[in-house]
Amino acid sequence: MKNSGDSTVIDVPPTAGSSSKKKAVVSTAAPQQASGGVKRGLSIFDFVIRLGALGAALGAAAAMGTSDETLPFFTQFFQFEASYDDLPTFQFFLIAMGIVAGYLALSLPFSIVCIVRPGAVGLRLLLLILDTVVLTLATSAAAAAAAIVYLAHDGNSSTNWLAICDQFEDFCQNISGAVIGAFIAALLMMFLILLSAFAIRNTH
Amino acid sequence: MKAVTGESSELKSSKLKPWVNRGLSIFDFILRLAAIVGALGSAIAMGTTTQTLPFATQFIQFRAEYNDLPMFTFFVVACAIVSGYLVLSLPLSIFHILRSRARATRVVLVFLDAGMMALLTSGASAAAAIVYLAHKGNGKTNWLAICQQFNSFCERTSGSLIGSFVAIVLLMIMIFLSGAALSRRR
Repeated sequence: MKNSGDSTVIDVPPTAGSSSKKKAVVSTAAPQQASGGVKRGLSIFDFVIRLGALGAALGAAAAMGTSDETLPFFTQFFQFEASYDDLPTFQFFLIAMGIVAGYLALSLPFSIVCIVRPGAVGLRLLLLILDTVVLTLATSAAAAAAAIVYLAHDGNSSTNWLAICDQFEDFCQNISGAVIGAFIAALLMMFLILLSAFAIRNTH
Repeated sequence: MKAVTGESSELKSSKLKPWVNRGLSIFDFILRLAAIVGALGSAIAMGTTTQTLPFATQFIQFRAEYNDLPMFTFFVVACAIVSGYLVLSLPLSIFHILRSRARATRVVLVFLDAGMMALLTSGASAAAAIVYLAHKGNGKTNWLAICQQFNSFCERTSGSLIGSFVAIVLLMIMIFLSGAALSRRR
């Protein structure tokens, strides 16, 4: 410390301690950036999977909705035709997959917000909750339709429910494809839930 | 003075947070127990379902059992698997009560809960579709309703679905709770 008249000058030489402090600041900043990158990566992956699930759900709904087959022979009074709305389970499937696809489309902007702002915990929690509800709906519709598709293919001798797929082959192929699409959508939504949980864990 | 009061309120909230997480974990444990009862009850109710009609011909006896339909068999297996999983997850739930700040295990639990919820939902929905068909039949496909003959069998199978759907709702709430516990700041 040098005292010259009124002014007081303090000399602080660069010590080893100050340089180590600077180093410490740099070392703590790097992992924060890395974790931010990981969060953003998870969010981008979430967005991509959401798009995939949307495609699968929409494809399943379209395949079921357009499944229609008329047999080339008919009697004087009626024509042999099979359509998805002949069975209430398939109607439920179509409505449910429509809702799932609609939800996934509406959730895309929220997913984009999660990419832009990786620290938004509340939004991720909301997505986790809604994804869980919609996963239940998708699985429920897919499984119910799968049960009927199984019956249509194999029938059941104990109850005298005969297989109809021997006659309506194209119809059965269409509805089987729709069920597969629905299960793919459900599987992707399970991964969305896992990703959301990981992202919430990494936020703090 | 203001700084001191701010600090004390922060201290209070930090003391409160582990208790909130512990409360969530205790609630999760209770829900798990209830879900075990629901899933196991459904499996037992469906597995013990059988009805023999009081009349018979010279060659055949009219009897309905759950394993006459593969969807009911799948339902029993799915309920049993979910019950087993829920029993095995109880120690992990107790661990979360004791160590409310554990996070990695919660993520694992969220994923497994989601998987088991999907399995139980598929089992219950497949069975529900068949129960509906057994009750109403379908004229377009010539699948006749069998519940007019096997009345008590149908009642029993319908009843067994209730427990499984309750378990599904409870599993869903468990996932919400795990998400809420994860989202709370350490």
